[in-house]
Amino acid sequence: MLELEVGLRRGGFTLDVTASLEGPATALFGPSGAGKSTLLGVVAGLVRPGRGRVVLDGEVLDDAGRGVHVPTHRRRVGVVFQDGRLFPHLSAGENLRFPERFVPPARRRFQAEEVVRWLALEPLLKRSVRSLSGGEAQRVALGRALLASPRLLLMDEPLSALDKGLRGEILPLLHGALQASGLPVVYVSHDLAEALQISREMLLLKGGRIAGRGPFLDLLEIPEALDLFRDQGLLNVVAARVAGHRAEDAVTLIEPLTGGSGGVSFKSALSPGHPAGREIRVALRPEDVALALAPVAGTSIQNQVPGTIRRVVQGERRTLVVIDAGLTLLADVTRQSEHELDLRAGRPVWCLFKAQALRILDAAASGPADGTNS
Amino acid sequence: MLSHAEWTALLLSVRVGLLSVVVEAPFALGVAWLLARRRFLGKTALDALVHLPLVLPPVVTGYLLLILLGRRGLIGGFLYHHFGLSVAFTWKAAVLASAAMGFPLMVRAIRLAIELIDRRLEEAAQTLGAAPSQVFVRVVLPLAAPGVLTGFVLAFARSLGEFGATLTFAGNIEGQSRTLPVAIYTFLQLPSGDAAAERLVILSVVLSLGALAASELLARAVKRRLGGDGRA
Repeated sequence: MLELEVGLRRGGFTLDVTASLEGPATALFGPSGAGKSTLLGVVAGLVRPGRGRVVLDGEVLDDAGRGVHVPTHRRRVGVVFQDGRLFPHLSAGENLRFPERFVPPARRRFQAEEVVRWLALEPLLKRSVRSLSGGEAQRVALGRALLASPRLLLMDEPLSALDKGLRGEILPLLHGALQASGLPVVYVSHDLAEALQISREMLLLKGGRIAGRGPFLDLLEIPEALDLFRDQGLLNVVAARVAGHRAEDAVTLIEPLTGGSGGVSFKSALSPGHPAGREIRVALRPEDVALALAPVAGTSIQNQVPGTIRRVVQGERRTLVVIDAGLTLLADVTRQSEHELDLRAGRPVWCLFKAQALRILDAAASGPADGTNS
Repeated sequence: MLSHAEWTALLLSVRVGLLSVVVEAPFALGVAWLLARRRFLGKTALDALVHLPLVLPPVVTGYLLLILLGRRGLIGGFLYHHFGLSVAFTWKAAVLASAAMGFPLMVRAIRLAIELIDRRLEEAAQTLGAAPSQVFVRVVLPLAAPGVLTGFVLAFARSLGEFGATLTFAGNIEGQSRTLPVAIYTFLQLPSGDAAAERLVILSVVLSLGALAASELLARAVKRRLGGDGRA
């Protein structure tokens, strides 16, 4: 568990954060300039807080009042930086093994071989760092951080330097490695889809302060948080499985994993790169979800999912509707629709969205990075 | 070819040059790192002190060394009385004189190289568990290697040309402090020494050019290793 109660002033910027982070993963989300990297720097010991405390698993790492500051190299807090920061004088493999000599064998958490397997690093080991692509470099950087056997892993927008297609390709690999490692992670991102893929547990930072924390859906209740998400583009991200393809109709059937026994399945545009049975995540923009009080006949809209309104969040001009359809869906509607359909908690509705509105986030098994419409 | 005296001067010059580099290198690395990476009280003063031999007349530097390390000097007196150690007017003095004169050049080259290293790499090394000394050995030193080598060669070359401080502090003793420049000067004072002086002049030129060429080759090799796309 990471307990933070830190304050810091730097020029015109003030960081003031009190929070305790538990659980396997927390997504630290906020616009640029919110202080996310500075906060990570404090936890890693690279930035000394002006006041307050940092406590990790009961060990005091910083206590400005008592002059305690555990130096970075003794914190056992791993960091994956935005820019990788691989050592240019070492090969990829040598970078990977760089931290091993600093970790006594008894304290090693992972074998180099398993880290290499998780991140598919084998073909990269002999390469020089300069010849690696951005995605390859970040895989090596994560592997290197893991082999330092940290207690906590901080990832500072590790994919932001990559283009979108590549991001979709590497994120599942990172996610898989993180899960295999079992390390608690704080993952910084200003991309909501990316953050949601790592964790639904979020800490929102804005202007150096916490604007909200908790599960993503609960945060929608907080106006300031909602505005933040809106600025970045809200998104439904659903864990699902590819149920099959119907080539003659050019659709791919997708089954949400959290759908319970309802047996809901979605149709998306044909995406043969994802074989049946594969687990994926799909994204759906709330503004692409329409609501109806009854199923609609004679329409080209392929997906019609029944559900019940869990709550209605009124924004400044628009209304966000949270629907329980076996899984949770967000729909962004106008105030007029809200009134006309009398949308309120408990009311049964049908969620309508086109096959083309579903976007598969994970990489295809082969071929181009993203076979879906994006 | 060369007379015994000329050989002695040549070998002494090379030996004094190499030894002076060895003696000053650890200090130069430390001071260069301090100046490049640390903020502390008196940094400007240290910087000025390091550069002093560069701007002082070499004879003055030699004289200051004599005051400090001579048998009646501050440090020299202590060494002589307690250990029977006498530095001035021996080959050790020649090495120290060379080291003092080459020191600013070595520090400058290394400091510049360290300043060019991306600090964030050092931070990354810390997050991976490397203590400051390990960061220095594993990251800073290898990345600064070209600059460090340049510093070594500069200091060695400076030592080959050292005259004033050596003469003042170490004297002109064959086999002890009569290095190439001192020997050339000595031969020029003799009525029949022109030929010997000329031979030594040619030797000096060859030696200096050789040192420069060697440093260039080394620097290229290091750069290939650091920045190349091929394997090390």
